[in-house]
Amino acid sequence: MPLSRFRSLMLKEIRQILKNRQIIFLLLFPPTVQLLIFGLALNPAVNHLSLGVVDYSDSPASRDFVAALVANDVFEIQSFQPRAADLGQQVRTGQVSTGLVIPPEFAERLAMGQTVDVQVLIDGVDANTAGIASGYMKQLINHYGQTLAKPPGSSSGSSPGPPVETAVRFLYNPGLLSSWFFVPGVIGVVLTLTGSLVSSTTVIREKDVGTLEQLLMTPAQGWEILAAKIAPLFVLLMGDVLLASAIARVVFGLPFRGSYPLFLALSGVYVFVAISIGILLATLARTQQQVVLLSFFFNVPLIQLSGAIAPIESMPTFFRVLSFFDPLRHYVTIARSLILKGVGLEVLLPEVLILLGFAVLLMGLSISRFRAQLN
Amino acid sequence: MTAIAPPRPEAAIAVAHLRKRYGAVEALKGIEFAVQPGEIFGLIGPDGAGKTTTFQILAGVMAATAGEVRVLGKEPRLARLNLGYVTQKFSLYPDLSILENLRYSAGLRRVPAARFEAQARSLLQRVDLDRFRDRLAGQLSGGMKQKLALCCALISGPKILLLDEPTTGVDPVSRREFWDLLAAVAADGVTVIVATPYLDEAERCHRIALIYAGDIQQIGTLQDLRDSLGLRRIEVRAEPLGQAEAVLHQSGGAIVDIQTFGDRLDVMVTDAEQGQAQIRAVLAHNDLHLSDLRLDQPTLENVFVNRLRQQGLDPADLAFPTGRSGQDKGGIAIATRQLQKTFGDFQAVRGVDMTVHYGEIYGLLGANGAGKTTTIKMLCGLLPASGGEIELAGETSRLDRSEVRSRIGYMSQKFTLYDDLTIRQNLEFYGGVYGVPKPLQREKIDWVLETCGLVGQENRLTGSLPGGWKQRVSFGASVMHEPDILFLDEPTSGVDPLARRQFWRLIRDFAQRGTAILVTTHYLEEAENCNTMAFMVAGAIVAQGSPSQIKASQPGQLIELVSRQTQAASNLLKQRLAPWRVSIFGDRLHLVLDDPDRDLIAVQRWLQEADIPVQSTRPIPFSLEDAFIGIVQRAEDVQRVKAP
Repeated sequence: MPLSRFRSLMLKEIRQILKNRQIIFLLLFPPTVQLLIFGLALNPAVNHLSLGVVDYSDSPASRDFVAALVANDVFEIQSFQPRAADLGQQVRTGQVSTGLVIPPEFAERLAMGQTVDVQVLIDGVDANTAGIASGYMKQLINHYGQTLAKPPGSSSGSSPGPPVETAVRFLYNPGLLSSWFFVPGVIGVVLTLTGSLVSSTTVIREKDVGTLEQLLMTPAQGWEILAAKIAPLFVLLMGDVLLASAIARVVFGLPFRGSYPLFLALSGVYVFVAISIGILLATLARTQQQVVLLSFFFNVPLIQLSGAIAPIESMPTFFRVLSFFDPLRHYVTIARSLILKGVGLEVLLPEVLILLGFAVLLMGLSISRFRAQLN
Repeated sequence: MTAIAPPRPEAAIAVAHLRKRYGAVEALKGIEFAVQPGEIFGLIGPDGAGKTTTFQILAGVMAATAGEVRVLGKEPRLARLNLGYVTQKFSLYPDLSILENLRYSAGLRRVPAARFEAQARSLLQRVDLDRFRDRLAGQLSGGMKQKLALCCALISGPKILLLDEPTTGVDPVSRREFWDLLAAVAADGVTVIVATPYLDEAERCHRIALIYAGDIQQIGTLQDLRDSLGLRRIEVRAEPLGQAEAVLHQSGGAIVDIQTFGDRLDVMVTDAEQGQAQIRAVLAHNDLHLSDLRLDQPTLENVFVNRLRQQGLDPADLAFPTGRSGQDKGGIAIATRQLQKTFGDFQAVRGVDMTVHYGEIYGLLGANGAGKTTTIKMLCGLLPASGGEIELAGETSRLDRSEVRSRIGYMSQKFTLYDDLTIRQNLEFYGGVYGVPKPLQREKIDWVLETCGLVGQENRLTGSLPGGWKQRVSFGASVMHEPDILFLDEPTSGVDPLARRQFWRLIRDFAQRGTAILVTTHYLEEAENCNTMAFMVAGAIVAQGSPSQIKASQPGQLIELVSRQTQAASNLLKQRLAPWRVSIFGDRLHLVLDDPDRDLIAVQRWLQEADIPVQSTRPIPFSLEDAFIGIVQRAEDVQRVKAP
């Protein structure tokens, strides 16, 4: 008897989903777009920084120095200014993001083999870009200094090189492609957003139109009603996992070094968590509008804290600790490890256990709230 | 000098050959009518007859397929600023207060701020909402919301009011206030077109159009419609009523039609003398006690029911396919002791004691917001009680277990079907969730479709059904599992009179098989079907008993007064007596007089002084509606005295 009851509940959900074009759209379109945007557009490398130059020296040496700075497209000359004050003004108004002032004695002092100071102005409003710009600038100037130290023509062995040379080899992402870092994280973000949105709408709609009361009056238990709602959504969202991993493989060429079935299974656990979040939010909200606003309130910090987009290592201690309570963080760790590193379940066990814990906790809360929500 | 005859006033609304088609369905098949300024024009018809479509076209929110529509001599869309439109659904902003809602409506229609203040005060005073002007619209009862919606439509001083079943789900007291306001604005020259499923209200219209299947069948004054029927009505009160109906039905002769109205039969006869003689003879022959017999004119409801029956629109009367023998009657199904519910510091239900037995129909009556729905929700375990005890189906604790719930049927006030599923899918769903075995399920779905007259339309999306039909399908869905206890919260709200009769036939059938039924309704006349009833005022039960006990316990006497100037007489008497003691029923007045011998002389003197002629007065038995209004008003007076 209970089996036929469950079948009726699920049949009703499937029929409603099939009639609802919006849900199909929600499942296909946003995940694709989000993956493509984050993978292609989000790149922390900085190029084409606008550079303003004041060259008081106006000598072959100074022109040579400027040419060396802009040789690799990191900096691009926006303008030459006659006076340092004008340049300062340009940096202040944002016309250029970096400024370079070369002193009049530049050529003379270099010729005499003395050190010379150049002034670099950096617009610090965008702290991240400023940091990168200043790093590049230092590197380029150092490099230029080194080429001066060994003039062309002298044999490479004649002057002593730096005592230690660091040779860095990057593991797992040899090309340091930023998309390899972002895409697994964005898969997690997409599952969080889509999963919580579709599950919260199917639950809130019953409340909105008033069928919920009738449903709660049937002999069906709260968990049965929810399970019947979750099962078809789970299947659809697993379709999203397949879609996302196909985009990751085909468009971005991610390696998928770990076991793919394991990746699917653990993604399934996370889909379950995302659905639970949505249902929990739906039991807290009273209308469709409220649930959308609530999910913004919850999902945005969830994503920010997860390390999917910004590295957790760069957060203050408090937030690093807080991120531990973010299920998305653990899923992102799992996804990166499986896709990029190819580790096995034994390494990921702590994350997997935590994720399972979240799934049980959130679903339990949802079920207990579901029946009590009419009060 | 010769007197110049005043020119015939231009019709406020003129409709000719109006057609509307939705895909293959023809909703309006070329209707034609004209409404004069200051007229109250009633549009009466069964669910799905095309009333709402007509309103939407008149309001200019929908285009006609063909035909001509002139509103104030213009296209409906261009006459918008002079038009007020109130629909079944509440069109208020729940987060704004009464005054803010009014101000918003006024702003939309560019009412000058100076005029707004005076206008708002006078409107709110007329419907007794002035005291609550700062209360949020979302916290008002259904009756208050509709009165406010009417005020919002009136604030800009429109020349035309379109009212599409504005009083559906509104309690009798508020409904009377609503219609009193309508009569007053019509007297000021506003043209009103109104649809209502309450035919006693519709009798207050100047002219009435009967519409069904997209066609206007008849237009005329109440008297025209009565005359066209060519029949006389005889009210028969006999014991037992069911048997009396059966034997009279078989006797034929002068009897054309018999309709059950609560505790009486309306027997339609071709000839008054012959009919009365026949009724007396038949009842005497069958040893049935005849307690009262009165000759009267047919009511609008008689006309309506008779016309629809002629069209073969009487819904099918089919036996419910049952899988079991039924419950033993007489055992206690529901019992409460000192049931309480508080929301914050608001006491929604205070100390309710009630007992409902298997096989009993128990009616819970009261104004909107009296606590009926809250009580039902506590009884079904949807809301936890704040205090008191509940016994339900023999259980006293954990009423929300699924074994208990599988024995309960519940039909809530809101529509309980999924709009995005077809009718059949909805029924399959509820059948499946309640675990009705497959073969029986199919039989029951067929039964629901046939009783609702929806055979062949089962694959239609439920959302596209008119409200009254949805109600019928939801009732079917809520009884498919043959519950032992059935909760019905305003099941017949917005349902047309014929279908309402069918509803009650079904409810009585279920009770006869031993189902305990707890029902709420705003149609007091159908509440006569209850075995026991309780009146709730402000969360407490103030009177309880059988319909005849309740009516007998009314103090004073009810007097029916017939005058050609019903409205003027009502206005005057409402000032002299307490307003609730005077009410308009169709073309006559009902007066509640505590000491009829003394008070009636005073009433006649007042009317004489005002030059209002009185055709006749006679004492009549209290109807349940009169009893309801008397009980509610007296209880509220007592509470008002208690609360400073």
